[in-house]
Amino acid sequence: MQKFITKSPEETESLAEQIAKTLEGTEMIAMFGDLGAGKTAFTRGLARGLGVDDGVSSPTFALVHEYSGKYPVYHFDMYRVTSWDDLYTTGFFDYMDNGVMVIEWSENIVDFLPENRINITIKHLSENEREITVEGAKEI
Amino acid sequence: MKILAIDTSASPVSAALLSDGKLLGEFYLNIKTTHSQTLMPIVSALLSSSGTDIKDIDVFAVNAGPGSFTGVRIGVASVKGMAMPLDKPCAQVSTLEAMAYSMPYSDGIVCSVMDARCNQVYNALFRLNGGKTERLTEDRALSIDELADELSQYSETVYLTGDGAELCSNKFTDCLPNVILTPVNIRFQHAYGTAVAAEKMAAENRLCTSAQLMPVYLRLPQAERELKARLAKNNNKKGEEK
Repeated sequence: MQKFITKSPEETESLAEQIAKTLEGTEMIAMFGDLGAGKTAFTRGLARGLGVDDGVSSPTFALVHEYSGKYPVYHFDMYRVTSWDDLYTTGFFDYMDNGVMVIEWSENIVDFLPENRINITIKHLSENEREITVEGAKEI
Repeated sequence: MKILAIDTSASPVSAALLSDGKLLGEFYLNIKTTHSQTLMPIVSALLSSSGTDIKDIDVFAVNAGPGSFTGVRIGVASVKGMAMPLDKPCAQVSTLEAMAYSMPYSDGIVCSVMDARCNQVYNALFRLNGGKTERLTEDRALSIDELADELSQYSETVYLTGDGAELCSNKFTDCLPNVILTPVNIRFQHAYGTAVAAEKMAAENRLCTSAQLMPVYLRLPQAERELKARLAKNNNKKGEEK
């Protein structure tokens, strides 16, 4: 387990960018954290680290955004996905093993996620400070 | 009777053309590309290289599930699209049954398994006897442990086939000595099996119209438990409000 403190959204992005460099292409990254914690900022950095040029925005309405970089990146938002049936009908399981999956609001579906995954927990410390806990990823 | 059968229910994609029981051609790919990009070129190539006009197809068959959510929808929608303008009947084939029909001549139990994630599988059992395939169970979703318990009742050879076969085989080796993993060339679903199943369905008057053709999804036991727990919680809440 690795713990980091970031002092701005830019620092969160650059931390994610470093983590992206350790990925091999089929990881599942589950993110936990409150509204405004910086999950989308983290994903933006991660996508940049994987060479994605497109703009990254929260897929709250589309449920999943697909980006292509060094590996395909599948960016999920589970804010409105709260049951197995919901999850299954997003086609979630069809994406597994085909690219890097980044999941916002993992809290909602944590029981259905495989054990073999990376957990990112973002905690509000103050207005701009965040504590970011990384479990299951390679050391950076 | 000419049958065009397709399978997109899991990672592989395939199309087969069967004419009065004879396999005229089959295309199969097991690559990462999505079925929405591979299926129609395969079908088109199969028809053109076999010199078959799509109007000459009598039955359109598809593995309608169980399977991956997106894969099953692609397969069912494609067959609907081909059958509807020609007003031809469709065969809504069980993926697990199609797998059993892909088995070479052998006697014993066919255990078709597809990986449904989270240690659960889609499964059905069939008995092969003297060239006949008899269904022993409905298509269902269950845990690998439950399946192992059930298989221990059979003393015959059990052929484990499908994309979940290796996963199960790794767990079964110690407790189930009569289980055999099928070789890879017949392990994964092929449209040939779908076509053979469809031919049987046609003989038994079990075809449907393109409008009636539907994807078939099985809810996993884990999902069932979760749904029950959630409904119970909602009911309790309602009770409190009263």
